[in-house]
Amino acid sequence: MREADAPTWRVPPRWVLLVAVLSIVAAEIGGGSMARFKVELTRWARDGMLARPSVHGLVGVRDVDERILDEALVKFDAGLRLFHMHAEGMGLVIIATSMVAASVIRHVTARRAIIALLTTGGAGYPVGYLVWSALIPSYGLERAKTIAEWLVWVPFGTATIVALWCLAGLVAWSMIDRHRA
Amino acid sequence: MTNAGRGATLTFLIMSATVRRPPLAVVLVAIVVLALGETAGAAMSRFKPEIQRYAAARVAANPGAHGFSGSAEYDDEVRERAIFTAEAGLAFFHLHGMGVGLVLFFASALVAATVPGRRARAVLYVLLTLGGLFPLGYVVYGAAGLELGRDAGIELAERWILTPLGVSAIAGLAGLWLALARRRA
Repeated sequence: MREADAPTWRVPPRWVLLVAVLSIVAAEIGGGSMARFKVELTRWARDGMLARPSVHGLVGVRDVDERILDEALVKFDAGLRLFHMHAEGMGLVIIATSMVAASVIRHVTARRAIIALLTTGGAGYPVGYLVWSALIPSYGLERAKTIAEWLVWVPFGTATIVALWCLAGLVAWSMIDRHRA
Repeated sequence: MTNAGRGATLTFLIMSATVRRPPLAVVLVAIVVLALGETAGAAMSRFKPEIQRYAAARVAANPGAHGFSGSAEYDDEVRERAIFTAEAGLAFFHLHGMGVGLVLFFASALVAATVPGRRARAVLYVLLTLGGLFPLGYVVYGAAGLELGRDAGIELAERWILTPLGVSAIAGLAGLWLALARRRA
């Protein structure tokens, strides 16, 4: 095979790279903010929970209420941490998988659809953890999780999973096709 | 990398020459590992009760392997630990599937772009691709823990899957580093 015939990468659309980099930037800012504004964030969440005692099952007994508040604050912190981790990772996943899609999938509609699903799913999914954390003070642990699950994780997560498996199938198909040719 | 063929006008060039990509077989393994890791992540949260029920059933089906004593309190603790190990295996699989899939992708892309010599590239692709299968060791870790008991299951996964495939990943990355170091010299 001549050098000119060697398989090469194609750059994904610019908007895809912008979204991916923005996801990583948001993750970095989120990670930094978690450390820098830890006290302020915890105070905000705690005040929000104390303002809605019935939502969190607070009874006015210190020993009982502190345990409930602690558990909720641990989950609040976990949500921010998981946003940081997933936004970093999914930014990289978007770059890698959209490069593969741009380079391997020949059919224009399929390529655009898969790149769009990978990008929107990958960028949207981590936001679910921010939504979960933000809603804990107002709605309580379980309801906040349900809202984040059905508004964000399920639709955006499903988009990413479907797109990944379609991409795997098309890469396998491309391999078989080239082997035949 | 190039956008030639799209007809788009570039305002800047990322690279001045085309960049080779790895064989499709390597790319496919990276994408499949990412897809499996992603699916495991979804399954972990969406099907948590079902997974716990399945794990409890497998533990009950293998009482000897888990060292059940007949004492309810002790056996409950053993059961909880085994279920936790199975869930941990799935969580590790999700985490490593996503991470190692990306490592395989970017490392093999570097091999394709920078390592001269077909044979050297082929060896590195094989090592890195085998290393890319490392996360599957955590599926074995979780499943074997339920069937053979926690300690025996972990030992099986470590000895036959995690260690050899982990060594392969490290060897592939070390080989890539050496190739890059030699190239600069």
